[in-house]
Amino acid sequence: MSLDDDQVLIEKILAGKRSSFEELMKKHNKKIFGYIYRMVRDEDVAIELTQDFFLKLYHILDKYNFEYKFTTWAYRICYNMVIDHVRKNPAHIDSLENENILPKLMESGNYVMEDTFEDLVKEEIREYTWSVVDRIPLKFRELILMRYLQDLKYEEIADISQLPVGTVKNRLFKAKEMLKTELEKDGVLK
Amino acid sequence: MACLSEIKIQKYIEGGLAAVERSLVRDHLIVCAKCRASYQRYEKLEKSLGEPVYITPPPIIERNVLRMLFPRIPSYSSIFALLAASFLLLITGIYIYFDFANNSIIQAFQLTSHDTSNWIGSIIKAISTVFSTVYAVFKAINAFFEVIFKVNIGVEIIGLCMLLFLSWSFYSLSRLVLKKIKGSN
Repeated sequence: MSLDDDQVLIEKILAGKRSSFEELMKKHNKKIFGYIYRMVRDEDVAIELTQDFFLKLYHILDKYNFEYKFTTWAYRICYNMVIDHVRKNPAHIDSLENENILPKLMESGNYVMEDTFEDLVKEEIREYTWSVVDRIPLKFRELILMRYLQDLKYEEIADISQLPVGTVKNRLFKAKEMLKTELEKDGVLK
Repeated sequence: MACLSEIKIQKYIEGGLAAVERSLVRDHLIVCAKCRASYQRYEKLEKSLGEPVYITPPPIIERNVLRMLFPRIPSYSSIFALLAASFLLLITGIYIYFDFANNSIIQAFQLTSHDTSNWIGSIIKAISTVFSTVYAVFKAINAFFEVIFKVNIGVEIIGLCMLLFLSWSFYSLSRLVLKKIKGSN
């Protein structure tokens, strides 16, 4: 059985090489934190949950089955942690319908100024689109995040969220329809 | 052909339609401006979603996780070094409290050890010799300050400072040595 990059790192970690865990964490930190942050919409909570995720990951790494893709396994752990948190704090998560987190994103240093006006407009549309993603209901948002932020296939999303593939697809279509309607309403998509 | 549903447009963009249906949708998009506009908006949306805006994770996450998983110094070495430093501090305290060189207890020890040839006597002799020497050094430092800077700091204060410094040095050195030992394993 040939191992992918993540699996090679896991083998090294299990053999006692600590630096490989650091490498694995660096590789996935951005996607994991991005996903958690957009799900819980609170930086401190996102930091705490991301830390908890990596600590848990390290402690149960020996239970990982090399027959499966690492990301599917890891994202499922992450998904369950976030859902647990969301269930315990429902009011906090789904009560920000009118909040626009764009300024916060711009502060984060990911807001890249492009050279031309056209590029700038594209960039603003992109930023605005993702700020709208943060406002849609959780059951749609989580799928958009898995599909586009974590770059997962429908089957992987279905596996992680324990939903049938058809439901995942339909919810994603519905989510995009909602996003399109919101963006049209805000005059961003013309 | 009736206008396209939102889902059908999305499926068309994803390439999720069969060949016949695909060509029907394509033909409709050519003639229907409304559906074409909707299609173009979905394309823009897809493009924006396809380039996610990542939020940079604060460096504190990696730092905290690594610190919690792999403490830099093994805890047993820290405990050992701390105990050693505490021992030195304790001796400092005793030294200051009993005014060692002039204390009757030590003098009594010294006198006792004169007539003793067993191992207890040897230990007392060794301890009193060490303290006498250390006291002489502190006295010399104090005299040095008195002559050069015209300040009488006091032998006890100098003793305390020196022993605190020694405790700290010993603690740091112990950690360093233990870390090297751990590293070489």
